[in-house]
Amino acid sequence: MSEVRQESTSSLQRKKPPWLKLDIHAPMGAAVAGSALEAPDLPAEHQHAVAQILRPQIANPKYVTNNPTLTTVALEKPFCTFDGSVSKSASYEVHLYVMVDSATTISASVMDNGNKSLGATFEQTHGGKLGPYKAATFNVPHCTSPPKLSDIADVAKAPAVLTQYLIRVGDDSACLYDPNLQEACNPPLSEDTSYRFKFVLVDRITDIVKDQTLWSDPIKTSKLKPSSSIDIWPGQRSGGMIAVTFVLSVLTLVVAAAFLAAL
Amino acid sequence: MAKGETGVRCFQGMLIMGNVIMGLCGLALMAECIFFVSDQQSVYPLLEATDNDDIYGAAWIGIFTGFGFFCMSVLGIVGVLQSNRTMLLVYICLMMIIFAFEVASSITAAVHRDFLTRNLFLKQMLEKYQNPEPVNNDDNWKSAGVTRTWNRFMLQDKCCGVNGPSDWQTYTSVFRTVNNDADFPWPRQCCVMDTLGTPINLDGCKLGVSGYFHNTGCYETIAGSMNRHAWGVAWFGFAILCWTTWVLLCTMFYWSRIEY
Repeated sequence: MSEVRQESTSSLQRKKPPWLKLDIHAPMGAAVAGSALEAPDLPAEHQHAVAQILRPQIANPKYVTNNPTLTTVALEKPFCTFDGSVSKSASYEVHLYVMVDSATTISASVMDNGNKSLGATFEQTHGGKLGPYKAATFNVPHCTSPPKLSDIADVAKAPAVLTQYLIRVGDDSACLYDPNLQEACNPPLSEDTSYRFKFVLVDRITDIVKDQTLWSDPIKTSKLKPSSSIDIWPGQRSGGMIAVTFVLSVLTLVVAAAFLAAL
Repeated sequence: MAKGETGVRCFQGMLIMGNVIMGLCGLALMAECIFFVSDQQSVYPLLEATDNDDIYGAAWIGIFTGFGFFCMSVLGIVGVLQSNRTMLLVYICLMMIIFAFEVASSITAAVHRDFLTRNLFLKQMLEKYQNPEPVNNDDNWKSAGVTRTWNRFMLQDKCCGVNGPSDWQTYTSVFRTVNNDADFPWPRQCCVMDTLGTPINLDGCKLGVSGYFHNTGCYETIAGSMNRHAWGVAWFGFAILCWTTWVLLCTMFYWSRIEY
């Protein structure tokens, strides 16, 4: 199972355009700062295209080892992805859409007719089976000061680094049962199901979609093996056990025979 | 006695030395078995829950046979010194009984050592840990024991699961049906805790960020000590029996040659 997970992760990594150097995975701060610095050099049209060809990525498996789990998937936040579309005057936020992988996912739209972002919830879409649902909303991640993943080992900095760096889909197990919930609900996913994810840049006031990434490659939640399948038979007996049993049986016979002879 | 006085004295000396060694080994065996039974690691609930704690039975037998060997060695020495036929006959008969019991103890320990596999503990942990609906009182008792023992192991020995925390993510388990995966990918005891007993970073623990969860399995701690001690009970018992055989054979020879 872990092999499959490794494979899917590496294929995700590979599909990242190499020339973008958005390699936030690198633990060195230099590479991260480099990508942030390089972005403004690109021509404006090119920048706008950046988000259109990027896909959401799974969080760096070097740091986040338990991912994807049965019901959660941790994704890297879209660093520097939407730079070309952000204008100074408006304020933006990023919406995360989740959908079960199917033939129609690639063309599934997260906009309604007025270019506004969809407000579909987990329940309305039957957990993403009928279409994409909005799982989370967060601020546009800072491109200029991305978190250093090497800081994660520092207990004091870890909470901040984790919140800045990743978004865990399926994290909130209580929101489905909360009648007063106003924001997007991010309940646990189903196990052994492939999901696709999409980040969308939305104007905070008008709710109009300004930019979006592609749908991610399918990411499959893991699956459990039944515990009854575990074989507890010890298999071949150890040589020691055979030796002890055999020799002791012989010794017992010898002693008994000797006793009879001595009588 | 057909041979000369010196030969007899020599043979008596040999028997006495054999008995002294046997008595001392008996004491050592008793001490070892007491140590095993006292269960310093408190793993007994795990074995009890497998319905297969015969290895403890073997150790209990070892305690009594060890003490028996010690007492018999005293009787044997006195018997040889006095060349008393009755006393030696009693000695031989009792020794054969103790011998048989020690054979049983040694073989049981050797056989059951093979059963202490990873999968045995893994399956038991998955099926009994935090079991909220035990089918009967017996199951209730065992589940509680397993839960308690695992909680303590994972906290004290900074380990998680049998092979590692992935056990909880790989197999179905009672724990998984009781707790949801998003909040409890593995028990909280697998998280690195501060002195107050709260995880130092719960999100890091859930995500499996190194440094915030225990990445090693508990199998070595649990089965390691158990296996070593059972090995001792089996093979030390075996060694004593090999020695005792010769002492017993020589005593029988001596007994058959004593003149009335």
